[in-house]
Amino acid sequence: MFSQRELERYKRQMMLFGNEGQEQLKKSTVVIAGAGGIGSPVALYLAVAGVGTIKIVDNDMVEQSNLNRQILHNERDIGKKKVDSAAETLQAINPDITVWAIHTTIDAKNAKSLVGNADGIVDAMDNFPTRYLLNDVAIVKKIPLFHGAIRGFYGQATTIIPGTSACLRCIFPKAPPKEVFPVIGVTPGVIGAVQATEVIKYLLNKGELLTNRLFIWDGMRSLAEDVRVEKNPDCEACGTKKERRQKRK
Amino acid sequence: MRYKKREETEEKMSVMIRFFAQFRELLGTDIITEPLSGGALADLIKEVASKNKEGYDAIFNENGAFREFVIIMKNGKRLDTAHAENARVADGDEIAVFPPVAGG
Repeated sequence: MFSQRELERYKRQMMLFGNEGQEQLKKSTVVIAGAGGIGSPVALYLAVAGVGTIKIVDNDMVEQSNLNRQILHNERDIGKKKVDSAAETLQAINPDITVWAIHTTIDAKNAKSLVGNADGIVDAMDNFPTRYLLNDVAIVKKIPLFHGAIRGFYGQATTIIPGTSACLRCIFPKAPPKEVFPVIGVTPGVIGAVQATEVIKYLLNKGELLTNRLFIWDGMRSLAEDVRVEKNPDCEACGTKKERRQKRK
Repeated sequence: MRYKKREETEEKMSVMIRFFAQFRELLGTDIITEPLSGGALADLIKEVASKNKEGYDAIFNENGAFREFVIIMKNGKRLDTAHAENARVADGDEIAVFPPVAGG
């Protein structure tokens, strides 16, 4: 059931997917891993769309140098925990959703419990080791993972439906080297919007997902392309050979 | 003479190399090459990348092998970097060379 305020708020999108679709969004829980450049647009768009419960996880504090891209936070938030600043922004923009702010570092011990029974995991991380952890949890729990990453004017995104599509390790078996990456705020804006679109489509069971496709954005050329990717049977995270090995044990 | 020329062109193939992201900035993209038939994929990329040292070094390590995180696709199918060393190219192939990005 929706309040009058909610009906008014979601009026224009309910033209697309009706009461039923909106209910679907409302009863969903999405975990957003990272409240930075990508986490910001993803969280904002999922909040305004009315995704009922958003769990946002980050271990950082807001710094001045974040503000060129991390649009959940503003000048007054400097020094605050990013997740607290994020929760304030999200609740202000949509008081009809529930936001959980979790200030912690995602690691091998807590990743599974942080994800819990969420309907989707958004990868808004800034490093591959944590992404691989999220990928493992997604596979074990059979929860979709919405990947996005950026550098400069370039970005990539893909959607992983465990069991049916290529996982993050199938596509990127080795992590690129660590670096302080250059970035302009519009790039995570584009990639985050793509990821949020994927989450919404998945929750509504509508459209065609970015599974087995890597979306590649070249902001310098304003060119979006996708390349076909496929499951790797030898993948160390999801490979069928690995499954067979485990079954034998 | 004319006849011979035509024969030569028949032996040549056309292979498109597409670089993405930083590789594209350094090396350009959609480069159409005309290697001789049966050429090695790694040699072809090396040849094209050698026009810019920074671009070459971004793709290959000091031993001339592909850096392990580089993504190489041949006609939309990913080749792991070890296989790409020995892969051959054929006429009409499209090779994509892509650096994953990691920021968020």
